[in-house]
Amino acid sequence: MKTETFRYDNRIVRAFAIATMIWGVVGMGAGLLAAVQLFWPEANLSLQFVTFGRLRPLHTNAVIFAFVGNGMFMGIYYSLQRLCKARMFSDALSWINFWGWNAIIVAAAITLPLGFTTSKEYAELEWPIDLAITLIWVAFTVNLMGTLLKRREKHLYVAIWFYIATAVTVAVLHIVNSLEIPAGPFKSYSLYAGVQDALVQWWYGHNAVAFFLTTPFLGLMYYFLPKAANRPVFSYRLSIIHFWALIFLYIWAGPHHLLYTALPDWAQSLGMVFSVMLVAPSWGGMLNGLLTLRGAWDRVRQDPVLKFMVVAVTAYGMATLEGPALSIKSVNSLSHYTDWTIAHVHVGALGWNGFMIFSMLYWLVPRLWNTELHSLKLANWHFWLGLLGIMFYAVPMYWAGITQGLMWKQFTPDGFLQYPNFLETVLQIVPMYRLRAIGGSLYLIGTVIGVYNLTRTMRRGAFEPETEAQAAPRVEEESAPRLAGHWHRWIESKAVLFTLLATVAILIGGAVEIVPMYLIRSNVPTLSSVKPYTPLEVLGRDLYIREGCVGCHSQMIRPFRSETERYGEYSKAGEYVFDHPFLWGSKRTGPDLQRVGGKYPDAWHYNHMEDPRSTSPGSIMPPYPWLLTQRLDTNALPARIAALRRVGVPYPPGFEHGDAQKQLEAQAATIIESLRQGSITNAPADREIIGLIAYLQRLGTDAKTALATPIPAIALNPNP
Amino acid sequence: MIRNVLSEIGGVGLYGIVSICLFFLVFTGALAWTLLQRRSLMADMGGLPLADGEVRKPSEGESRHE
Repeated sequence: MKTETFRYDNRIVRAFAIATMIWGVVGMGAGLLAAVQLFWPEANLSLQFVTFGRLRPLHTNAVIFAFVGNGMFMGIYYSLQRLCKARMFSDALSWINFWGWNAIIVAAAITLPLGFTTSKEYAELEWPIDLAITLIWVAFTVNLMGTLLKRREKHLYVAIWFYIATAVTVAVLHIVNSLEIPAGPFKSYSLYAGVQDALVQWWYGHNAVAFFLTTPFLGLMYYFLPKAANRPVFSYRLSIIHFWALIFLYIWAGPHHLLYTALPDWAQSLGMVFSVMLVAPSWGGMLNGLLTLRGAWDRVRQDPVLKFMVVAVTAYGMATLEGPALSIKSVNSLSHYTDWTIAHVHVGALGWNGFMIFSMLYWLVPRLWNTELHSLKLANWHFWLGLLGIMFYAVPMYWAGITQGLMWKQFTPDGFLQYPNFLETVLQIVPMYRLRAIGGSLYLIGTVIGVYNLTRTMRRGAFEPETEAQAAPRVEEESAPRLAGHWHRWIESKAVLFTLLATVAILIGGAVEIVPMYLIRSNVPTLSSVKPYTPLEVLGRDLYIREGCVGCHSQMIRPFRSETERYGEYSKAGEYVFDHPFLWGSKRTGPDLQRVGGKYPDAWHYNHMEDPRSTSPGSIMPPYPWLLTQRLDTNALPARIAALRRVGVPYPPGFEHGDAQKQLEAQAATIIESLRQGSITNAPADREIIGLIAYLQRLGTDAKTALATPIPAIALNPNP
Repeated sequence: MIRNVLSEIGGVGLYGIVSICLFFLVFTGALAWTLLQRRSLMADMGGLPLADGEVRKPSEGESRHE
C-alpha cells in the first residue's frame, strides 16, 4: 500500500509544556499567598494589588486558564496530530494559539491586581480580554477542525470527541456569559441582572469546570493512559457511552451552584437531578481508566507516569462522587458557602488536573528530548509531596467546612443562635487555614522539584523539533453517497457531523435552562420599593467589585431560620433587578451583607475599612486604608450611568449630564455629616470610602420597607 | 406577587420532563449504536493511540522513563 511520509510538529508541544510549568508555579504560588492571608492578613504587604479579594481571582485564573489551559493545549497538540496521523492544519494558527493565549494570561496577571474585574467567577477578565479570548479560541478551533479534515486516519478516536466538545462548548459558554456593555476601556456591566445573571454565570461556571477542566482531560486520559500502559483502553464501547452521557448531563447541572437561592425552584430541581445522574458516566469513565491498567499494576509501582495518572483518575472519581452528593439540596444546605466547596474543587484541581498534567509532562519530556528522565528519585519525591499536599489541603478544609456549617446552624435549647457572632465561627477554623497552607506548600514544593527534574531532563537530551511518521493516505469510502457539490462531501465528513451533533447536545441543555429565564423576564417580581442605585452608590458598588469583596461576602440569604435569625429576611428575586452584575457570592469567609444597610453607623464602616480589627477584634479581613486616601473617580460616572441605562436600568435621559453629579455630591455631604457625628472630622467628601459606605448602607434597605410585614411562608412556597 | 412569578411560568413542569426524555433518548441511542458496532471495529478503534505511525529508531525502548 502507498504510504506518505510526514512530520509531527513537536515545537508547539514544547512551548505549551514550558508555559505549563512556569504558570503552574506562578498560579500555585498566588494560591499559597492567598491561603496565608486567611490567617495572617498582613501577608498582603499592605499592597492593594495583592490583597485577598484581588489575589483570589488571579489565583483561580492562573491555575485554570494558565496552568491547566497550557497543559491541555500541550496534550491536545501532541495527541491530535498522532491520532489523526497528520501534522496540525496550520503552524501559524498553532503559534497564534500559543502566543495569543499566553498574552491573554499576562493581561490577566496585570489587570486583575489592578482591580479590573467583572466579578463573575472564572470570567473576571474585562471586555477587551474577553474579545481576545474569543479570537484565540476561534484560531484553536479552526486549527483543530482543519487537522481533522486533513487527517489520514479514517476513524475518530474517542479522545478527539472530547476535544471537539471542549472547543464548541467553551466557545458558546464564553460568548453567552461575557455579553456585557462597556463603560470604559476596562469596565463593563453584564447584560443580565440578578437572577438571570446568576443562572447564566453558573451555567457558565459549572461548565467551565465540565468542559475546560474535565472533558479535555478525559480525552487526554483516553490517549495517554493507553500509551503509558502500552495497552488499549479497557472498553472502547464504554468510552463512547461515557462521552455522550457526560456531555449531555453536564450542561444542565449548573443550577446546583444556586440551591436555596432566589432562583426559581424548577431550575434548582433540574440542576440537582442532572447532577446526581452525572455520577454514572463519571464513574464509568473512571473505571474504564483504572481497568485499562489490569495486568499492568506492577508497573504503577515504578513508573512515575502511571503513578501520577492513577492518582489523577482516582481523584476524578472522588470529586465526581462528591459533586453529585453536594448537589443534593439537603447536603448543599450545609456545605454551601463553606470551605467544603474549597476542599471539593481542590481534590479536582490538585488531584485530577494537576496530577494528569504532571503525568503527561513525565511522559512527554523524555520522549521529545530523546533521553531518559533525569532522576526517578526526584519524581518519586514530587509524587509523594504532591499526594501529601492534597491530603493536608483537603482534610483541614473538610473539617473547617463542616465545623463552620454546623456552627452557623446551631441553636440553643431556648431557640437562639448559639454562635450569633459570625467571627466566632471564623476563629474556630483559623487553625485549619494554617494546616491548609502547609498542604499547599507541600504541593508547591513538589511542583518545583518536578519542574527542576524536567528541566534537567530537557538539558541532558536533544530536542526533536519534528517526528517523522508514515501512514497511508485516507481513502474516501466507496459506499458514501456523493451528491453534487463539495459542501455535501464536507457535511458527510464524520468530524463535521459529529461536531454538529455535539453542539446540538450542549445547546439543548443550555437553551432549556436559560430560555425560560428570559421568557419570565417581565415577570421577575419587581418590588415597587426597589429603585436603581444612586450615582454615589453606583461608584461604591464598582469599588466593591474592584476590591473583590464578593470573594468573601455573599449577598444571598437562604430561607433557613438559621440565616434569617442571623442576617434578616431571606432574599427575593425582585431585590436584584438592577444588579448588573449579580453579587450573590459563593463563599462566606465573612458574613452575608445582603441586609447590612443601616445595621451600623457610617463611622463604624469608616473605622472598619481602615482597620477591621478596631471594630471586630481577631477579624481576618484585611485593612483597606487606600480607600480612605484615594480619590473617587467621578469622571467615570457619565459613562457608567449611560452603560447601565443601556443594560436596562431606568435612569432618566440626560441624567448623567449634571443631575447625577449633583446628587452624588449631595449624598456625599450627608455621609460626611454623619461621619462628623461619629467623631470622624477629617474625612474629605471626595474619597473612595464615601462611595463604598453609600453602597453598603443601601444594601437590602429597599426590600426592608416592602418586606416589613412578614409574608406567610406558605404564600412564598414556589410549588404549593 | 412573588408567588405569581415563581409558580406561574407557563408549563414549567414540562421542562424537567422534556430534559429527562431527551437524555433518555440520547443515552439509549448511544448505547444501541455502540452495542451494534462490530467487535473488530471497536478493537481497532481502541488501538488507535498505540499506532501513531511514528518512525522510531529501534534502540528506543518503552522503558525510557522508568
